[in-house]
Order: sequence, then structure tokens, then C-alpha cells
Amino acid sequence: MQLVIYLTFAILSLAMILVFVRLMIGPTLPDRVVALELLASIMVGMIGAYAIYTNRTGFLDVAIVMALTAFLAAVGFARFLERGGPRHD
Amino acid sequence: MIDWLIKILMLASAAFMLLAAVGIVRLPDLLTRMHATTKAGALGVALMMLAVALHFADSVVSAKTLAVILFIFITAPIAAHVIGRAGYFTGLPLCEQTIKDELVDCYDEKSHRLLSGLETEEELEAYRQNLDMKPRIRTKAQRLE
Amino acid sequence: MIAFMWNLLLALIWVVLTGDLSGINLFAGLVLGYLVLGLMQRQVPILRGYTSRLPRLIRFFFFFIKELVMANLKVAFDIVTPIWHMQPGVIALPLEARTEMEITMVANLISLTPGTLSLDVSDDRRVLFIHAMFLDDEEALRASLKEMERRVLEILR
Repeated sequence: MQLVIYLTFAILSLAMILVFVRLMIGPTLPDRVVALELLASIMVGMIGAYAIYTNRTGFLDVAIVMALTAFLAAVGFARFLERGGPRHD
Repeated sequence: MIDWLIKILMLASAAFMLLAAVGIVRLPDLLTRMHATTKAGALGVALMMLAVALHFADSVVSAKTLAVILFIFITAPIAAHVIGRAGYFTGLPLCEQTIKDELVDCYDEKSHRLLSGLETEEELEAYRQNLDMKPRIRTKAQRLE
Repeated sequence: MIAFMWNLLLALIWVVLTGDLSGINLFAGLVLGYLVLGLMQRQVPILRGYTSRLPRLIRFFFFFIKELVMANLKVAFDIVTPIWHMQPGVIALPLEARTEMEITMVANLISLTPGTLSLDVSDDRRVLFIHAMFLDDEEALRASLKEMERRVLEILR
């Protein structure tokens, strides 16, 4: 079980690094918003894996809040874009 | 038995997340990237939460994981829709593999309405009279450059 | 929707009467309420056809899971292989859904299946604009989207 959990952590970390590459190179704001949203999804997955690893259920509340805020951020950015914010940052 | 199921679910979840991450780096434009991220990401979270529910086998934890899964599956398409629409209408270029775009022709640049192509003549006339919509797209020429 | 509220109300009454507030007892109340509404639906117009929706919902659930997995594998294959097989594009799909609820459900489910993403709906709500990743067989794609819409409307109406 330990080995599988470590492997999961490794794969998720690799995925996070790849998403971070997209977050850095952009090139536009919507691209970065999509990257941030995926980053939040991966973080929720990681919190789930960590809950299994430490055998504590308290982390699930963090996962719920993480999923909520990521959605709100995406909608907020989209409204900002449609109202005419800077597109090439 | 359950132990093996949890292991498989965790690895599958991680694989979907990695797939989404590879997709977001490799794919050529915003809309195709969103195809990779929203669905694979949501599926990855759902599988991980299933693994958590099986691991703890407790009704409170199951309810919480079910809440996360439901929430992800309700919000993922909405977030994809708002970002995709904002990206499209702010004039991001589509990638060069794109073979057709039926939306550009349906957007009326004078009244800023999105036509369906099925309107009667009276409805079109009403659109031309009421020019109260805000512009939401840059011109066709700018898009094609 | 109203029929489902009645079902829930009957289940709550069952829970109150038996005095046992547990998940299993609530489920038993739901099943009993479902059976009662099934017996009543011939007489009460607002409940008509309520019980035939549950089997449809279950069938739709499995249909949707199948579509989700198949299309996900297709997108996954294209991401992993070095050459692009995709031919993305935006298509206009005429809608049969009329009310806001129906359009929302159809658009969200289309967004959830990989390979298609609903972008916008026209101002008169007759056409849905969809970004699709694989347009090499447009007729088949349109047919499968229509099939999905038909099944959603079958449950909602």
C-alpha cells in the first residue's frame, strides 16, 4: 500500500510540474486560468491521497473548500475577461 | 480485495491527472486544452474520492466524498463553459488544425446578437431596431489574422 | 420535479412516524413513497408517468458512463501519440430542448463528454454552439449528440 501511495504522490507531483509549465508560458490570461483550475483539481486529488496516507478524515474538509474556491475563481476570471480586462498580460 | 481496488483507483486517478497535465502542455489552443483538462481532471478527482470512501468505509466520510464528486461534476462543465466562451469572444486565435467555425458566421456585428439562422424576417427586423446589446467579439478580420 | 418533492415528503413522514432517523430508514421511506405514488399516478394528473422515469434514469446513467469512458480514451490516445489525429471545429446543433432547465442540462452533459464542449447558445435559444475535437465524421457526432439530448429530455419531460 505504501508503495502505491508514494507512486501516486510522484505521478501527481509530475502532473503539477507540467501544469506549472503551462502556467508560466501562458501565453494569455484564459490559458493561465485553465491551468490554475487544473492545479486545484490535482491538489484535491493529492489531499485525498494524503488522507489515505495519514489515515485522517479531517483533510476531506480541506478538499471540499479547495474544490469550491477553484470554481469561484474560474467564474470570476471569466466575468472579468468578458467585461474587458487586459488580455495579454 | 478492497485493498487492491483502492490501489487501482488511486493509480487510475493519478494517471488521468497526468494525462490532463500532458494535454494542457501539448495541445495547441485554449479550447482543445480545455477538452483535456476539465474532463480528465474531474474524472481523476472522482476516482480518488471513491478510493478515499472505500478506504475509510464510514458513512460520514462517504457522504463527504459524495459531496465532492457531485460538486465537481456540477461545476466542471459550467467552469469550462464560462472560460471557453470568454476566451472565444475575446478573440483568441483557434489553432491551425481547426477545420470549421460555424459560430463566426452566426454573430451579427451590427446588433451584437448571436443568430441561430432560423429566425423569421420579423425577428431579424426587431434585432435591427433594438441595438442594445454590448459587443462581445472582435471583428472577423481580426480573428482570421 | 413536483412528483419527486411529494416522494421526499412521504419519505420524511415515514421517518417521523417510525422515529428512526437513519439513512437506511430514509431510503425505505423513499421506496415506499415511490410505490405509493406509482399506485396513485393514474388518478392524479401531475404525477402521471413518474414511476417510468426511474428505469430511464438508471439506463441513462449507464449510457452516460459508457460514453464518458469511450470518449475519454479517444482523447487520451490523441494526447499521448505524437501526431495529431484531431480535427477541431465549432458546429451549430439545433436544439429540441426549450426551457432553461432543459437547455442547461443538455449543455452541461455535452460539456462533460470528452471531445465536445458547449460554447454558447444563440439569443433565441434554438441553436447550441459546440466545440468538437473530432470532426472527421460530423454526421456520426451529430447523431450521437442528438441521441444524448433525446435521452435527457425523456427523463426531464
